[in-house]
Amino acid sequence: MPDLIPARMLAEFAYCPRLCYIEWIDGEFADNEDTVDGRFQHRRVDEDTENDPMDDDLEAIHLRSVSLAGPEVGVTCRIDLLEKEGKRATPVEYKRGKAPDIPEGAYEPERVQLCAQGLVLRENGFQCEQGIVYFVRSRKRVPVTFDKALVKRTRGLISELRRAAIEKKIPPPLKESPKCNRCSLAGICLPDEVNLLREMEEKRGSEKGIMVRVRKLIPARDDYQPVYVVGHGNSLRKKGDVLEIWSRDEGRIKEVRLREISQVNLYGAVDVSTPALVDLMQRGIPVLHFTRGGWFQGVSLGHTHKNVELRMKQFEWAADRKRSLAIARSMISGKIKNCRTQLRRNDPEPSAAVLESLDRLSRDAKKASSAEKLLGIEGAAAELYFGRLDRLLKGNEDFSLQSRNRRPPKDPVNAVLSYLYAVLAKEMFVTLLAVGFDPYLGFYHRPRYGRPALALDMMEEFRPMIADSTAITLFNKRELGDKDFIRTGLGIALTSKGKKTVIGGYERQMEAEITHPLFGYTVSYRRIFEVQVRLLSRVLFGEIKEYPAFSRR
Amino acid sequence: MHLSGRNCFVVSYDIMDPRRLQRVHKSMKGFGEPIHYSVFRCNLTPKGRVELIAALTGLIKHDQDRIMIIDLGPADGGADDRIEFIGVRAVDSSPKAVIV
Repeated sequence: MPDLIPARMLAEFAYCPRLCYIEWIDGEFADNEDTVDGRFQHRRVDEDTENDPMDDDLEAIHLRSVSLAGPEVGVTCRIDLLEKEGKRATPVEYKRGKAPDIPEGAYEPERVQLCAQGLVLRENGFQCEQGIVYFVRSRKRVPVTFDKALVKRTRGLISELRRAAIEKKIPPPLKESPKCNRCSLAGICLPDEVNLLREMEEKRGSEKGIMVRVRKLIPARDDYQPVYVVGHGNSLRKKGDVLEIWSRDEGRIKEVRLREISQVNLYGAVDVSTPALVDLMQRGIPVLHFTRGGWFQGVSLGHTHKNVELRMKQFEWAADRKRSLAIARSMISGKIKNCRTQLRRNDPEPSAAVLESLDRLSRDAKKASSAEKLLGIEGAAAELYFGRLDRLLKGNEDFSLQSRNRRPPKDPVNAVLSYLYAVLAKEMFVTLLAVGFDPYLGFYHRPRYGRPALALDMMEEFRPMIADSTAITLFNKRELGDKDFIRTGLGIALTSKGKKTVIGGYERQMEAEITHPLFGYTVSYRRIFEVQVRLLSRVLFGEIKEYPAFSRR
Repeated sequence: MHLSGRNCFVVSYDIMDPRRLQRVHKSMKGFGEPIHYSVFRCNLTPKGRVELIAALTGLIKHDQDRIMIIDLGPADGGADDRIEFIGVRAVDSSPKAVIV
């Protein structure tokens, strides 16, 4: 039996069932201009007692912010203003906008919300025949009568929402609805993306390779930016809404506005003051800790994600070999396709044989009958791909790639690739956490202590065009040179300055805006990460059947 | 696109009480760069703009202090060209990855 339904959620449900489900059942929320302004205006309404539009009636008793529950109706509510006269009560709901020019005087969600409040009031022994919507912008009171039809509709919505909550079944996205344009949850809901993928799955095969343009409801790039602090002797402090970076030798070297930070990455022994750490936690900004060499050690994070359902689904799928394999096949097939694209585009003399083999391997990966087979296919593809990658390093004859090696890397190119894969893994880790996944439980990579297996799974398809591509650009443009590497006893490592150059190149690539191969809109890679991770969650919830790996043509 | 673009705002304030002035200045530093005494330049998303207004509304005395917010349009649409500096140039405030 789910909890009582907040009347406000019932209004959301009447507006868009999926929006309500995402907010109430999944516990997801995102702010935009409208939601922030809504809260701001509402706060002003609560404080605004001098200019009260209801004060002309001194007989009545006015109560603000009344919380009331109606277990019979199944609703709980917070009434902005309750006008009470003896046994008669009238709830008043404040809305920040203007009164709409429609016969009913107010839209259905508001009327349903008021009616639900009315039903709760009745259950609590009041007489309640009507409510009032007060539109702040037009300073207008609009009465709403709780007639038979409205009561029936309200009760109907209550039982519908209750059923959705018990069955844990997310309502489908609205189709081409103008409501999505200003919805702050569009980036979580992905209405057009999910609708498109479902349509494509219905008429599979007939339109392979066709790019369809869907509305771009997600922003092209992030409002927030990552912070990297490399090297020991640095410390982070907080001053007001600003994060200060201090160096032991040079004093304060940088100020960053906390409002604009997406994540904080600390390499080596960097101190963080407790006030800074707590503020970052409160804002939901993850602080990631790495060794000097770039090994990911852990994350400091505030309260974790509320989306418990998603984690339960993830564990269910990961325990099921067949379903895990289905996801892994898409990911690896996508990765091999991207390796092929990388060679086709950048190899000065692409080998037709290699391209054809990669094409075949990518198709084989789709059909692999076991995880072991898939691993073999991936290995074969990697060998072909890395065998050609050296030719892409055309601009800089000082560096070359003989073969892929690691732990420790034996040459500068491998050192940079290893470093970039670690940065890529943390990016995926952060994205997975933000969406509500457990990054340690994967579908392809098996769990091993401390290894973010799902992050490693999800980054497969992005390795060629983000990590490999960044490395090649950095060498070809001579942004990296001999002085950026040091020979250790065992292999080759990047210097502190070299690491910063690599991170800089990586960030340029992540912010580069590219056209999404399926959806046709232009967004940054960082955004695409989030879209892919959200699509994976849609697969686990059964909304789309197959994980659509990101692959460029 | 209402979700992504940032506009460039010039925010200037007259605050009658030194303590409040200090608080407003501290709060403003969370939104943009000081370019003069009591003048900030802020590149804000529509959401950031509302947050700025909400923050300042709570700090000032509405019958004594005054704040002016000038919208110079999209931050990447030549807003900077419409600001001319004579003498020492103020630093750019557009957010990008910080690597130290």
